[in-house]
This record gives sequence, structure tokens and C-alpha cells, in this order.
Amino acid sequence: MERLFQYIFDGLSFGAIYALLALGLVVVFRGTGHLNFAQGEMAMFCTFLVWQYNAWGVPLILAVILGMVTGFAMGAGVEVSLVRGVSKKSQSGVFVVSIAIFLGLNSLAAMIWGNLPPEQMKSLFPDKPTDFVRIFGAVWRYEYIGVLVVALGLMGLLFLLFAKTKFGLAMRSVASNPESARLSGIPTGVVLASSWGIAGAMGALSGTVVGGIVGELTAGLMFTVFIYASASATLGGFDSPGGAVIAGLTIGVGEQLAAGYFPGWIGQELKLAIALITIFAVLMFKPAGLFGSTKVERV
Amino acid sequence: MAGKNVVRINEGSLQHWLLRCLGVAIIALVVLWIPTKMETARIGQVSDAFVLIIAAMSLNLVLGFTGQISIGHSAFFGIGGYTAAILIKDYGWSPGYTFYVAAALAFLVGCLIALPALRIRGVYLALVTLAVAVLFPTLVKWKKLAWLTGGAKGIDSARYSELPVWPILGELKGRDGRAVFGYWLAFIVLVVTYLVCRGVVKSRFGRSLVAIRDNETAAAVMGVNLTTTKVLVFGISASLCSLAGVLATLRTGVVTPEGQYVTLLGSIVFLLIMIVGGAGTLWGPIVGGLVYVWLDNTTRGFGSNSDGVIGFLFGWADQSPATLILGLGLILIMFLAPYGLVGLIKKITVRFLVIIPKPAGRSVVQVAGDQ
Repeated sequence: MERLFQYIFDGLSFGAIYALLALGLVVVFRGTGHLNFAQGEMAMFCTFLVWQYNAWGVPLILAVILGMVTGFAMGAGVEVSLVRGVSKKSQSGVFVVSIAIFLGLNSLAAMIWGNLPPEQMKSLFPDKPTDFVRIFGAVWRYEYIGVLVVALGLMGLLFLLFAKTKFGLAMRSVASNPESARLSGIPTGVVLASSWGIAGAMGALSGTVVGGIVGELTAGLMFTVFIYASASATLGGFDSPGGAVIAGLTIGVGEQLAAGYFPGWIGQELKLAIALITIFAVLMFKPAGLFGSTKVERV
Repeated sequence: MAGKNVVRINEGSLQHWLLRCLGVAIIALVVLWIPTKMETARIGQVSDAFVLIIAAMSLNLVLGFTGQISIGHSAFFGIGGYTAAILIKDYGWSPGYTFYVAAALAFLVGCLIALPALRIRGVYLALVTLAVAVLFPTLVKWKKLAWLTGGAKGIDSARYSELPVWPILGELKGRDGRAVFGYWLAFIVLVVTYLVCRGVVKSRFGRSLVAIRDNETAAAVMGVNLTTTKVLVFGISASLCSLAGVLATLRTGVVTPEGQYVTLLGSIVFLLIMIVGGAGTLWGPIVGGLVYVWLDNTTRGFGSNSDGVIGFLFGWADQSPATLILGLGLILIMFLAPYGLVGLIKKITVRFLVIIPKPAGRSVVQVAGDQ
């Protein structure tokens, strides 16, 4: 029983991290219909910036906020300067540009911060060895609880943004029909740039959280997380923020259970594989993910 | 659009044939010149380029011509590499025969992976193939499979223990000989791959691929069998890509789960080459591969010990800026030449030379006459 709870707690917290990054993917996809392959690397780059601000003497909380602002600027800047121009020329071009950004940021981070001593990235939450709470005998560390709270909070905020604000309505209308949205006076450019910006800011936050848990920053920080995040977004349905979070948490818990109860066969090394194969199977029956909306085409 | 000084040539005319012969002659000269006059290291780089070109060509069939996004081709590359290594090392096969086994195995796996592609489109397909790319190295690393794949260490010294003697090349010995032999082996596989791609693209099957790319629903309405076509093209593409993997193994003798083109990054490189050269063109991957390898080898050394402008620009960097330059180049290409370098070359030559295609009417007359 204690083991079961332990796996569930760990799974929920890791799942929350995947969900955070997946939310960024979903926001971009909902707004513009593009897959941002560079989401993870943008997050990684912002995390280095947060570390840098912190190293320059800015308190960590302020540094994180500053990092999120930079992330917003980076996302919006990428949309305005690169994505907008290319999407007019070719549809798959945006995907290629995001791969280019992926490569560029990865290399740039290694160029600037490549020879850092294995510096400790400070955690946003209390992370001393004694900072944990016991529930049914299972250990739940404060920083893991913090991650979960942040992810759920962000999901709530996003839900409010999409469903209750005028801006959210504008985002939805731009996603469903850009032409008519422009004709009815919605500033499409601003809306598109902000959805990339929001994704960038969320990336910065998720990167900082991951960095705080891992401790050491490298250019490959977000790579595995990005794969999990894209798996979550795929499973949940690419246009459903709620789906991304539920899928993220499910994948997190599922892989912990699988790895924990079958250490010989699955274990740590194969848990990602199991998660991906399960998603494969789900997609065969629901090609647009669990909560995604299927696209109907007219010929 | 066309200016006054445009030369117009009819397809199939004498001038057109002469032009073609000239092209072939130039290519033949370059192909012969490389192994005879270049230094050994350079020959190796060209062979590397050939390997990447083959992989990019195979991806081109699926992505460029059929419009199905795949970032899982590194897995097929890996299947080729591992099949060759296992057969040579554990079963003592002669390397030449491993090509056939790898191609057949990858064909089956490719067909299997095409099954999701039947139902899944767009972003979802991209992510399913991404999953394939991630799965392959994890499976190969899996300790339960270590008896076969060598686990995290991989397999080494799987190469020609003695170079076979080929009629024209004669007996080749030592490091230089190996490079020359590897070059010709890669060249032959490249030619085979090119011919297969050309045969596929110019056939009825190839036209149904393009129809799927341009509008899947309309293609189905016109009588294209989506299932067979997609499964077959994935299979063919996978088996071609595995040939590149076999070549890579034979060149270095080593395969590891973290190997250069076995991980997701490999898929990205293949994609990049295809895009830079020109997706959906037969020559695109060839141009892209050569440019990629040249750029990579040139910029790899940039850094703190460079001088001049490069030293000024990148002297501060902790690591080589090669990948950054690649990324910037890719963005530049997307803006300046969205159809790749081949597209750009075509756009420029059209101002000087137009080849007028044969009118398609004649065959219609024949069909009418048959009845």
C-alpha cells in the first residue's frame, strides 16, 4: 500500500512537469495550428537565463518572473519574425523553422554556458532532505507537491483565459477561422504572437521547475521532458488543455507504476517505451487523442 | 516572365540529348576525380555524404512525395546498422549479403509502422514517428536484448576483415584502400537508391503518391488505394534507409544506441538535408547532402582557436557553433528558397533555358486508335 502511494505521488509530480510543457504545445497549436518542436529548447534556454539572472544577484522569484517575461518576448518574437513570414510560403515550413530554432538554441546554450561548473540550480520550493510530508507512509517532497500545484494552477488560469475572457474568445476565433476573425476586427497578429508568447512563458516556468529538481543545467535538460510532453499532448488531444494535463498525469503515474511493479522487465530504462507504445495503441482507436476534436474535411 | 534571351529546347530533341550527355559526363568526371585525386580524409567525408544522401532520399519518398511527416527514419537507419553488425559479428556473414537482409527486415518494419499512418494525420503522425525514433535506441539498449545488440556498449569491429577484390578497382590495401573501397560501395548503393526512387516517382505508383500528398480525400476518390500505397511507400522508404545504415556500419565498424544517426537527431539531419536540397525533387537530397557535409566539416572547427573574422565572431564560445550556423542556414533557406536549393537553381535556370515538355496528346490518339 505504501509503495502504491509512493508511486502515485511520484507519478503525479513527474506528470505535472510533462503537463506543464505540454500546455505550452497546446496553446501554440490551438492558436496557430502549428507544432512547436522548439518548445522544450526555448524552455531550456529560459532556464539558463533564470540561472544567469539569479547568478547576477536577482532573487530567485524575481529571476523566474524575469525569465518568464523573456520567454514571452522570445515566443512572441519568434512568431512575428519567423513563423509569420514562413507560414505564408509553405505549411510544413513552420515545422522546419521550429526544428531550426531547436538546433540553434541548443547549440547557443552550449556555446554560452557549455563550460559551466556543475552549478546547483536552486529550487523554487523548499528542497532540503527533510522537506517532505508523509501520507499513508509514503514520502511526498514539498518540491514535488509544488510542481503539481503550479501545473494545476496554470491549467486553471488557462481555462479561465480560454473560456471566460475576451482575449480567449479572440484566440479561439483566430484558430477556427483566421480570415473571418480578421474581418470582424480581431487583431489576429497580436493574438498569434501572444499565444506563442504565453507558450514561451510557460516553457520558462516548466524549465525552471525541472532545473530545480534536476539541479544541474545542461543543454539537454528538456529533451526527455519534451518527448514526454509531446506524448501527453498527443494522448490528450492537441487542442485540449485539460486533455494535456490529464494525459500528462496519467502518463506520469502509469510509468511509475509500470516501472515500480515490473522492475525486471520494464524498470527505469523501458518506462518511456511503454508509455509511447500505449499511446500508439490509443491513437489507433482515437486518431485525434482522447479529448481532441476530430477534423472533418469537406472536399 | 521569360525574357528575350531564353533558349527554348524541345524535350527529346537532339539539343536536349546533348545537354543530358553533358550533364552525365560532368557528373562522371567528378565521381571519378574524387577517389583518385582527393586526400583520404576527404574521400571519407564524401562517403559520409553519400550515406546521408541515401537516408534523405528514402525520407523524401515518404515526406517529399507522399506528404507523410516522418521523424522516425533514424530507427530504420539503426535497423540497417544493427542488422549488418549482428550478422557480421555473431554469425560471421560476409558484409555484402547483409544489405539484402537489412532491406527485407526494414521493409517489414516500415510496413508495420505505416499502419498508424493510415488513420493518423498531420501533427499526430509526426509525433508517432517521433515516438518510433525514441523507441529504437531504448529497445536496443534494453538489458534483456543485450545478448543480441550488445546493450549500451553496442557492437564494434563489424566491418570487412579483408577487402574483396573487384575487377576494375584491383587489390586495395591499407587505410587509403579502405577509403576508396568504401567510396565505391557507397556510390553503388547511392546509384541503386536513386534509380529506385526515380522508378517509383516516375511511375503510376509515384503519381498516386503525389496525389495523396496534394489531397488525400481527392486521391481516394480518384481511385488511389490509400492503404496499399501508404504501406508500400513506407516499406520501400524504410528498406532504402536501412541500406544507408548498413553502409554507415561498414564504414566505421561500430554501432551504438547513442550512435550519430541512430537517435532522433539522425532523423532531424535527414529531414534537414531533404529540406535544404529541395523536398519532392529527385536531386534535392543529393545537393542537400553534399552542402550539409561540407558546411558541417567547415564550421565544426570554428571556435576559440580560429582567427580573423571567425575568431572574432565565435572566439568566446565554449563549444563549436556548427549547429547554430546550421539552424540559421535552415531559417535562411526557408525564407529565400522555400523549395530548397534545387528549387532555387530551377528558378534561376528558367530565365536562360526552357525545356518544352513533349505534348501529352499522342498517347490519347493511340488509345483512341486501339478501340
